[in-house]
Amino acid sequence: MEIAYFLGCIMNNRYPGVEKATRKLFEALDIELKDMEGASCCPAPGVFGSFDEETWATIAARNLTLAEDMGADIMTECNGCFGSLFECNHMLKEDEDKKAKINANLAEIGREFKGTTNVKHFAQILRDDVGFEKLASLIEKPLDLNVAVHYGCHFLKPTETIGIEDQAENPSILDDLVEITGAKSVDYKDKMMCCGAGGGLRARDLDVTTSFTKEKLDHMTEAGVDAIVNVCPFCHMQFDQGQTEVNEKYGTDFALPVFHLAQLYGLAMGLSAEELTFDAQKIDATPAIKKALGE
Amino acid sequence: MIIRGVFSMSIINRLKSLFTGENDNEKKDISNDVSNTSDDVQVTSSKIVNDDVVSGTKTTVPREDVVKEEPKDDKRDIETLKEEVVEELHKIKETPVDEKIEKVHELKEKPLEEKVEKLHEIKEKVEEAVEIIEEDVKNKVEEKSNKDTKGDNMTLLTDKELLNDSNRDPDFTAEFIDAGIETVKHCFQCGTCSGSCPSGRRTPYKVRQIVRKCLLGLKEEVITDDALWMCTTCYTCQERCLRSVKIVEIIKKARNIAAHAGYMAKPHKMTGVFVLNTGHAVPINDAAKALRTKIGLPEVPPTTHAYPEALEEVQKLCKITAFDELIGYDEATGGLKE
Repeated sequence: MEIAYFLGCIMNNRYPGVEKATRKLFEALDIELKDMEGASCCPAPGVFGSFDEETWATIAARNLTLAEDMGADIMTECNGCFGSLFECNHMLKEDEDKKAKINANLAEIGREFKGTTNVKHFAQILRDDVGFEKLASLIEKPLDLNVAVHYGCHFLKPTETIGIEDQAENPSILDDLVEITGAKSVDYKDKMMCCGAGGGLRARDLDVTTSFTKEKLDHMTEAGVDAIVNVCPFCHMQFDQGQTEVNEKYGTDFALPVFHLAQLYGLAMGLSAEELTFDAQKIDATPAIKKALGE
Repeated sequence: MIIRGVFSMSIINRLKSLFTGENDNEKKDISNDVSNTSDDVQVTSSKIVNDDVVSGTKTTVPREDVVKEEPKDDKRDIETLKEEVVEELHKIKETPVDEKIEKVHELKEKPLEEKVEKLHEIKEKVEEAVEIIEEDVKNKVEEKSNKDTKGDNMTLLTDKELLNDSNRDPDFTAEFIDAGIETVKHCFQCGTCSGSCPSGRRTPYKVRQIVRKCLLGLKEEVITDDALWMCTTCYTCQERCLRSVKIVEIIKKARNIAAHAGYMAKPHKMTGVFVLNTGHAVPINDAAKALRTKIGLPEVPPTTHAYPEALEEVQKLCKITAFDELIGYDEATGGLKE
């Protein structure tokens, strides 16, 4: 099996430990991750999608044509990238007029959107293409960790088009994937709420974004978890860097380390904290990692 | 009912005192009452009583007056007052004629000056009562009219500046329909969206209202409002919409129109600048390069960062769609023109 691996921006340019863990995991699963050479920003749905739909769709379609040329489906481990690429792919497959318009733009750089690739989320591939059993066989030492799962918004929603089998308001896909590592997914109040970073809000009004994040951190802390697990580098950044911003603005002392699901699997497969670049994250993950590994 | 009875009693006592020359019993009623509730307070209350004794006041308290009563204040219910007055009049009416005559005799026997004084006292009490009632009525009326004003903000009908067709821009509404968001017409304003909105809990963002304004064609109101940008596109509203309105699409379309009309925040333009310069909204930096090398990944990821010709493609596409002009990109400086 081959997959076109879409890197995006934040994951590889800020938290490369997520990329490292993903490459190791898929190596172990015997799935080849092929680089999409020359891929750009997805582009960000909240900013480009909010400014000019045509520009958003044109740049997203260019990324899609890279995978079409490779004859492979795309995998992304960022909800924002997933939202942009999936929605654009879906839109251009369904709407001939828009497809013609975008293709007129792409023709200027010698490209054409054909509609021959599918866009999949990392977690979706793990559950639906790999399966829980095979994943479980990779776990060297079950993790002893209580986590708050954060789904993020552009993963299962809008359900009308996304079509990942689950319930958007009461999902289980990530909780199931987390628990295969031995970690326990702890329920908490308003679990499905947004982290606050999306839609261009983080860039435009940090106070409002921080207020969202504080509410989530309050609820996660009340549930008594050791860490947060997400599947979106933008949410990841919001909970990591954003957590320090919450602490500054509100005088709080939240200290919940943040794990991308790939990092959690990396840890369970024996990768070190340094390899997973936890040492470069703002919130110290050392106590959580020690607990997880029973050290 | 007990409370009403208490008020009646206190009024009766006051009227009684006017005729008997006794001072107001109410204060003693309260202190006596408080003394029943706590030992600590009893000390205080007996002190009050002692003071009264010292000042030569009679301290006889009718047993039936020792009832729970709130401290004296002017927050009296008009209805209660009315009932008390009526009750009092009835009592006077029902008093046997002999008794009335006796009272008149008693009064008659008093010196003229004392009578005049009593009448003045009565007059003052009545005036005071009227004042309290008037004030109370005035407050009640004001309170009611304030409430009405607040409530009426919910509808466009009673706004001071009424909207009419001249405020509407049908082309604005048509833009949503033309973009394939016909569902904007399906909204029946139930408010499930606003009730579900995490942003609306902390910002002036009212998604239900924006959807309505888009349908009505209130272009200026929609695109000039900063709150339009308080949506994180979390889709909670759209998932819960009973009429399957594509709410997030409506918000994004409205933002597109706002952006093209010049309403775009500088940090948003800067995100566009990053993509035009590097192909990425969050470009690589030295720290990330070092981190990548340390864990055995290529220093620069195989993206537009590693392929200049790919970056050129992205830049060309942004020119074709005039995105560079939209954000005011200055190619010479790689920044914003302004």
